[in-house]
Amino acid sequence: MALRTLLAVAAAMVAAGCAVSPSGGDVRPLTAVATTSAWGSLLGQLGGDRVRTFSLISNPNTDPHDYEPTPADARALAVARLVVENGVGYDGWAQRVLAASPDSRRIVLDVGDLAHVGDGGNPHLWYSPDDVRRLVEAVAVALEKLDPADASYFAERRNTLVAHGLASYQALIKDIRERYAGVSIGASESVVAPLAQAMDLDVVTPSSFLRAISEGIEPSSADKTTVDEQIDSRRIAVYVYNRQNSTPDITAQVTRAREAGIPVVAMTETLTPAGASFQDWQVAQLQSLANALHRATGR
Amino acid sequence: MDVQLSWNLVHDVRQLLEFHFMVNALRAGTIVAVVAGAIGYVMVLRRQSFAGHTLALLGFPGAAGAVWLGLDASVGFFGFCIAAALILGLAPAGRAGEQSAVIGIVQSFGLACGLLFVSLYHGFLSGLNNLLFGTIVGVTDRQVLVLLVAGVVALGALAALGRPLLFASIDEAAARSRGVPTRLVGVAFLVLLGVAAAGASQVTGSLLVFALLVAPAATAVRLTARPVVGLVLSVVIALVVTWLGEGAAYFSTYPIGFWVTTFAFGLFLLASGYRAVVK
Repeated sequence: MALRTLLAVAAAMVAAGCAVSPSGGDVRPLTAVATTSAWGSLLGQLGGDRVRTFSLISNPNTDPHDYEPTPADARALAVARLVVENGVGYDGWAQRVLAASPDSRRIVLDVGDLAHVGDGGNPHLWYSPDDVRRLVEAVAVALEKLDPADASYFAERRNTLVAHGLASYQALIKDIRERYAGVSIGASESVVAPLAQAMDLDVVTPSSFLRAISEGIEPSSADKTTVDEQIDSRRIAVYVYNRQNSTPDITAQVTRAREAGIPVVAMTETLTPAGASFQDWQVAQLQSLANALHRATGR
Repeated sequence: MDVQLSWNLVHDVRQLLEFHFMVNALRAGTIVAVVAGAIGYVMVLRRQSFAGHTLALLGFPGAAGAVWLGLDASVGFFGFCIAAALILGLAPAGRAGEQSAVIGIVQSFGLACGLLFVSLYHGFLSGLNNLLFGTIVGVTDRQVLVLLVAGVVALGALAALGRPLLFASIDEAAARSRGVPTRLVGVAFLVLLGVAAAGASQVTGSLLVFALLVAPAATAVRLTARPVVGLVLSVVIALVVTWLGEGAAYFSTYPIGFWVTTFAFGLFLLASGYRAVVK
């Protein structure tokens, strides 16, 4: 392998020296790339069979915050005509990789920009139903722009997704809000915060704690004590934790909550199981949250 | 998006050059290899590997600080490496042997600063591994240009220092008695070493700079005692391991730092074996 690689690279350097620049013609079907599988699922459903979709972060067993791009990711981003990045510092590497393969025709949608969430905000935007809708509309517009010939196909895909695909997801959110608005819950990190807000659930865990766990920083001992007290005194009806970012502290809290008789709900940052659709994944999580709230409150 | 190495050379080359990011990675790697191969050779002659190691490590706090402040990482690499070179060069040498203690203190303080910058950076410093172990996927046109300018300046300065530097490196006392300003030459060379380390950091990552700065030079020293031939050989070896490493990183799923270091180590072993057999 070494000899072949060396020969190839040496020849490549000669070619590069002669300023032979790669000419990328129009590749069909259109390629679209999402940095994380939550957005990738929506992208795939909107593009249907007219778009080749890739999701870069899709392993439910790793922490996406620590993700680093591979050469295969860089190749996918280089040929993509449409890129959906989360933004808000969640996937800052995407901008670096895109800058290394500039393409003026490429459309890059940054969900943080669409949602007007600045640096330092909560990056888990796919847990915000409003931002999910924003992204769906933005992708639909972008696809039509990139491939006007298939405009009616894309419009139909969008309508189907909004009217049917996301229907039970939105209905469940409404249902939980109507039934459990104002109920106090505890959380392991900020991943659940946008969803809780949409359902008027009251996350009483200190926000500095949620943020520290999300960013991979050691939470303060005062915050840890507060969380433990909230569990022991059963101030929280349900404890929600991010299974993909579970530190020893969080594992201990999960055990503590179970021992206190508080229902525990696991959530993830990427599609779980890996092949699930966005809505199936969210509905399954919302369903277990609804069950937990029912057990805790009897409502 | 998978690629596969074939026996068809033209096809492999086309795959390598298909994407702009890879063309940039090869350009950057080539510049860095030439500079590191040449300056690394003089560093090995001068027995300043520990200083070179420290300068390379100090690229890490530089880059982490730059990312924290929202600047380009290459600003941090060059800024910190050159500043550290000046500190090491201008710090009072004291008695013989104290120099390495000074270098050690500067090194640990620099790494501590890097750790601080990483924790100050709210949000997610994804890319920490890339800073430490290198990447081929994020080299921009501007970064290539910065590397090229820095490389040309460094090599020009090395050529200008040329004879006095070589003289001072081989026999410092004799050089001083012949009127060579050895201290000034020493400081100037440390700055060049800083530039080479900062450049190499951007390809192999801070921790693996030695794959380009020391290994090719050490291999060359085992094969020839003639300085000019050795310097050229060192550059050629650095180029070979860089191209091999980048190509292997492109066609495999393993990171570039691993490949470059492995190829450099392999060549060093071969050269050591050759010398053991011949002599």
